[in-house]
Amino acid sequence: MTNPRSSRVRLTFALLIVFAIVAVFAVRLVDIQIVRADQLNADSLSKRSIKSTTYAARGDIVDSNGVVLAGTVQRYDVTVAPVNMQKGFLRTAKDGTKTTVTLLDIANEIATATKQDQAVVYKKLTESPQSNYALLAGAVDLPTRRAIESLKIPGIIFQLHPVRTYPDGSVAGNLVGYMNTDGPGGGLELGDNKCLASTNGSTTYQQGADGVQIPGSVVTSTASDPGGTLKLTIDSDLNWFAQQAIAEQGTAIGAQSGTAIVLRVKDFHLMAVADWPSVDPNNINGTPIGNVGSLAFTAQYEPGSVFKAMSAATIIDTGTGSATMQATVPWHWVAPDGAIVNDFAPHPIQHLTLTGVLQESSNVGISMLGSLVPEQTRLAYMKKFGLDQTTAVKFLGEATGSIQKLPWDSQTHYNVLYGQGVSATALQVAQIFATLGNGGLRLPTTLVESCTKPDGTVTEAPSTTGIRVVSESTAKTVTNMLESVVQGGELARSLVIPGYRVAGKSGTAEVASHGRYTGDRVVSFAGVAPAENPQYVVVVTYTKPATMKSSAAAAPTFTKIMSQVLTKYRVPPSTTPSTYPATSW
Amino acid sequence: MSTILASDLPAFSPRELEDHPRHIEIVSTRSQKRARPRVVYALVAVAGMFAILTAQLLLSIWLSDGAYQISALQQSQQQLSRDQQSLKESLDVLRSPQNLAGRASELGMVLNTGSQGFLSLTGGVSRAPSAAGAATTVPVTAAALTPNSLITPAVSSLGAAAAAAAANPAAAGTPATTAADGSAASTSGTTSPAAQTVLPSPITH
Repeated sequence: MTNPRSSRVRLTFALLIVFAIVAVFAVRLVDIQIVRADQLNADSLSKRSIKSTTYAARGDIVDSNGVVLAGTVQRYDVTVAPVNMQKGFLRTAKDGTKTTVTLLDIANEIATATKQDQAVVYKKLTESPQSNYALLAGAVDLPTRRAIESLKIPGIIFQLHPVRTYPDGSVAGNLVGYMNTDGPGGGLELGDNKCLASTNGSTTYQQGADGVQIPGSVVTSTASDPGGTLKLTIDSDLNWFAQQAIAEQGTAIGAQSGTAIVLRVKDFHLMAVADWPSVDPNNINGTPIGNVGSLAFTAQYEPGSVFKAMSAATIIDTGTGSATMQATVPWHWVAPDGAIVNDFAPHPIQHLTLTGVLQESSNVGISMLGSLVPEQTRLAYMKKFGLDQTTAVKFLGEATGSIQKLPWDSQTHYNVLYGQGVSATALQVAQIFATLGNGGLRLPTTLVESCTKPDGTVTEAPSTTGIRVVSESTAKTVTNMLESVVQGGELARSLVIPGYRVAGKSGTAEVASHGRYTGDRVVSFAGVAPAENPQYVVVVTYTKPATMKSSAAAAPTFTKIMSQVLTKYRVPPSTTPSTYPATSW
Repeated sequence: MSTILASDLPAFSPRELEDHPRHIEIVSTRSQKRARPRVVYALVAVAGMFAILTAQLLLSIWLSDGAYQISALQQSQQQLSRDQQSLKESLDVLRSPQNLAGRASELGMVLNTGSQGFLSLTGGVSRAPSAAGAATTVPVTAAALTPNSLITPAVSSLGAAAAAAAANPAAAGTPATTAADGSAASTSGTTSPAAQTVLPSPITH
């Protein structure tokens, strides 16, 4: 009945099919298990596992008391996937009733929470309905986030958006700098970015269907590295006071700008560096670009008569003369080499000592006496006092000031003695007076006290090695001579601080423009107190005052700030009355 | 033939054999006995297995319970640390020197710059104190000189005053401009009398 041949053919055929199917399975098996194994494993892991970024905060900048000058706060970007929002959603109220919330309602509710225009939000939701991403509001704060969360709109995702904040605004805003959208933009934020910068870490874990992390599945691939805390020597309250004082006076005299510096003598720590006008780092765009940064560090100017203190120290330290060295001073003097030196105002011939020359701020007197010291020696002293080089702070964009190369021409030969034909920053002037106050020893000026990493390691500890500039007796003598300016000079009325011996020197320098001296002035006053045991240096400068073009404009601010410094730091009053060497003969 | 067959019958029936079992049996050797599985071992093994399985189950329940607990605690920690940061942020702005000075001026306070007295240890007054004068006041509009854009009406009444002054410098401090700022109505309502007494006074330098 059956044909054995045809049945054999069918059997063979069936076997072949079975083998073919097995072969296909085998190939597929090898393909999955060996060839694409890695890829598939990775895919499956990525389906199960969640990679999350461990956010590390940028370091804070704090003042010497730990008050935050620059910190990081969390803000949140509100994002949605418009493709999932188009149909609205069903909202279940507490009593179980369900209401349909349309796209327009969603836009309305979010706009109310974020204080935006409803149309703007609606447009963002409908602009590209198939999109998976739309930013509804950037960098909203926590109360706003909570308000949006309470709406219970499904599909809203908040993305962390850290923002830099400066709680004290323009107080020390000149120093801390600011942040651009793509990184540090200036000041210490940029200069000390190495200390402040942080690195975000990343963690991978697997999660269950309900979004809870599966125990033991955490893999930390990169450890997060938060930034260090940058501690300044600045006292933010004092910095505010100084800023307020120069702003009030600067506005009154119609100055273009002003700076005030408070330097602690014993360790050359900067207690306050105020600039007016100053930038509010929270609102960089609201400030002219010229006001961003610190003029005290970056602006070099011809300092004028405040340099006479340094010239007197040079004369005494080289043994050329003493505090009572005599000079016969006309108001207009033609030097033997033809240079012409004038005093500020005409006066009859005076018989002044070196102390008297400082008290009267006589350009002629200091030129007569100071020119006895050779140029090379004078230049060496100027450099030892810290001129023609940046301070140890090395602030971003700090100016060095400049001194002309030797040999000086006949006019410069005299001009440098009273601070013309040479430029310096307000910081360098402060260093000169602090050196005299510190017994002739110049320490490195310090703005950044330390950088402390989160693990406690301290870096950037400043150097404390000093440079001997003049002898201790010279420094004491010159400081004592400078008391004559405060006690008997023409500005005495606005300089005396009851109970304290104050030593200082005024400066009214002409501003050069296109190679000529103009009617514009830089007026300044620099001084130390208490004179018998100097503890603090205050330097005040105003650039181009409109109504009061003499150092009489700077003196009241100096007194105000110095009074505040003595009050704030509880400096005990002087026990002896102020005396100083004879001023005339 | 048949009798021979009959005498060949067995002397006892097989039943009798069963009633009287043989007294000899094959004794298993000691090693054979030892090798024989015992029920108690099996029971112990099975019981142990169940114990381990149960322990494992409990452990994993305990672990995943902990995972939920951790997850919940982490969430609440995150919420709390967000609250803390947000509050610290407002505090930092409130204690900024501009804000403190401006608020103090609103209350009629003055700075005591240079007015402090000192007593010497040897007895007597080494520096007589003086009354702080009006010359050391800080104008309420001080924030304009040391600007801080973080001091907003929402943060401080000073911000409301500054905003009002900026919006309408001529009529700064009048009730009309203060009331116009609806968002800070509650705070500016209480401080506007003070602002009125301070703001119109001329700012002397």
